[in-house]
Amino acid sequence: MSNNSMQTASCSRLLLWFSLFVALLFGSGGMNLVYAADTGVASSSLQERIAPVGRVQVDGQEPIPQAAVSKVRGEKPELIVAPRPSRGDYPDIGISSRAVVWVLAQMHLFFGALVLAVPLFVLVIEFMGFKTGDERYDVMAHEFMKISLTGFSITAIFGGSLALALFVLYPDFMGYMMHVFGAQWLVYAGLFFLESFFLYTYYYGWNAMRYGNLKWVHLTLGLLLNASGMTIMVLANSWATFMMAPSGVNEVGAVIGNIWEIMKGPLWNPINLHRFIANIAFGGAVVGAYAAFKFLSTRDPEKRAHYDWMGYTSNFIGILAFLPLPFAGYWLMAEVYAYSQQMGITAMGGILAWLFIVQAVLIGTILLAGNFYLWSGMSRTEGSVRYQPLIKYIAFVLVICFLTWVTPHTLILSASEIAELGGSHHHVLGPLGIMPAKNIAVNLMLIATFLSFQLYRRSDKVATVSWARAGNALLVAIYVVAMVNIIFLGVYYGYFTNTVYKVGSSVAQVGSTLVVIVAGIVIDSLMFKNAKTLPSHWGKIPDRSQYALFALPIAFTWLMGLMGYVRSSVKTHWHVYTVMKDNSPDNFIPTIGYAGNMITIVTVLFLLFVLFMFWIANLSATKQPKPVAISEGGVA
Amino acid sequence: MDNNNEMSTAATMLATVLAFVLALLAFYGLDHFFMSIQGLPLNLDLTPAG
Repeated sequence: MSNNSMQTASCSRLLLWFSLFVALLFGSGGMNLVYAADTGVASSSLQERIAPVGRVQVDGQEPIPQAAVSKVRGEKPELIVAPRPSRGDYPDIGISSRAVVWVLAQMHLFFGALVLAVPLFVLVIEFMGFKTGDERYDVMAHEFMKISLTGFSITAIFGGSLALALFVLYPDFMGYMMHVFGAQWLVYAGLFFLESFFLYTYYYGWNAMRYGNLKWVHLTLGLLLNASGMTIMVLANSWATFMMAPSGVNEVGAVIGNIWEIMKGPLWNPINLHRFIANIAFGGAVVGAYAAFKFLSTRDPEKRAHYDWMGYTSNFIGILAFLPLPFAGYWLMAEVYAYSQQMGITAMGGILAWLFIVQAVLIGTILLAGNFYLWSGMSRTEGSVRYQPLIKYIAFVLVICFLTWVTPHTLILSASEIAELGGSHHHVLGPLGIMPAKNIAVNLMLIATFLSFQLYRRSDKVATVSWARAGNALLVAIYVVAMVNIIFLGVYYGYFTNTVYKVGSSVAQVGSTLVVIVAGIVIDSLMFKNAKTLPSHWGKIPDRSQYALFALPIAFTWLMGLMGYVRSSVKTHWHVYTVMKDNSPDNFIPTIGYAGNMITIVTVLFLLFVLFMFWIANLSATKQPKPVAISEGGVA
Repeated sequence: MDNNNEMSTAATMLATVLAFVLALLAFYGLDHFFMSIQGLPLNLDLTPAG
């Protein structure tokens, strides 16, 4: 890394620490003020507000003295309820506070996702290089880290800015969060020290610990870097899930549980899993764009081969992580419904439901781009001619499923349009708008994508085992029966039985898809053991395929922004759902158009920063030639 | 999917039929399994038993 980027990193760390210091100071010192000012009631009436919690008081009788109750039940008397800020308690800065926090939070999350994900697969690639002895893996892993290093600084800058913005613009809310999470904030801050330490020793120690036992030390550093990064992520997730589904507090927001009970809310693990997988897919997509950028900007065959391989690996990581993502999302939404049906319906049955159609378009874009890249990549080897005839069928399945997925259920129609249509739903396409049809489409698209991936992997190999035909027959049977089973489950239980069976059948559909993926991996691993390998020509891929690698991060970024908006909006007018109301001027779900503009702005901003990141990574490898001395009598 | 002449055509046909029978049985069993673990039992003809 150059001196400039090191200085940027140091500055951003300083900014983050300063913000955390202000946050801790503000949060702990400001609590008394918050609770005296926010509720607008005296402390005695505060006690009355929380009195019904944990004791019974009969109407007309004298209130039971708090001390007596505490003595009998061993309760702590200092229960503090959530603040109730009025409109005037929110600073007015002339522009929407929510918009400011929205941009900063989203940028922090984008870069946070990137820098948490990249070290994860870098560690795996480095380990593969170590075990196989192939130095190309090591070089590529190091290059991935180089790209993301600037991202750590940018994450810290936006994280610090976000913390400052929140404390300035939402002081009561942040005061409450500081009170609820208490010393966890210090643990969070401490983890930054650890992550920074492991990051710099891991990156800068790469060449110093390259072989033998020292490589194990280096791999351990990478593991610890990931462990600290993941812990930071799950801690931060607990704040978001506490806001959506608070736990460890009573109905007025007073803390009644320990920190573990507060963190381990009903949505915590679904969010942890979903973000963990999504981050890897997102990270793979972004570094894939870097490889495409480098591939297109050079004519050197050796470099093109290197960046082609790098782009392939990135796409492999991105798509492989993306395959289970819809299932993790499904689990998250199921838990949202289980926690609060109202919240679930707000997300998928109300105003936000239309965004799931936009989500379908974006996921369709990702899958089509990912598949197109795999099909283009088949041209690297002559063995692919065996599988190319299948591509058109895969494309057909993908397009039909994509069209099914984007079919809306309830159309926004005028009275004359309803009359012309004969009702609010289209008589043929209407049934495609509900979940059973979507579930069929999603699962078939994932199976089709896995098939593309499998064919690509097979294209440079010829099986030599005697049971190859039987193995292929079994694989074909599994694909065909699984697809028929998914359609049967969706159609029969989705349209002809009750709702409970309809929802339950989606689990069996997911199971069928996973069986195909697992069976495909197992059978191919056994069948292509000691297989004859055909030559692959890295770098021999059409330039247009690289644009698919650009499409992936754009669609991923937009998708993350969109679904983040949905996740946050389901709280409606609450800072902390059912516990602390949002009384700010922005305490409403913004219109879809406004949200679309905001998400687009943030996406473009992120992509500009990513370009900056790529430029910095390039800059560090650029060396200015030494100026030639001017000799006497003219220019040398 | 790959060209391999280790097996005769008849054997390949038999393997294909067996593979489909196996896959059908496996997915039939999986449907029962995935529904029953959710407390949603099925009859032998896959209609809801609950």
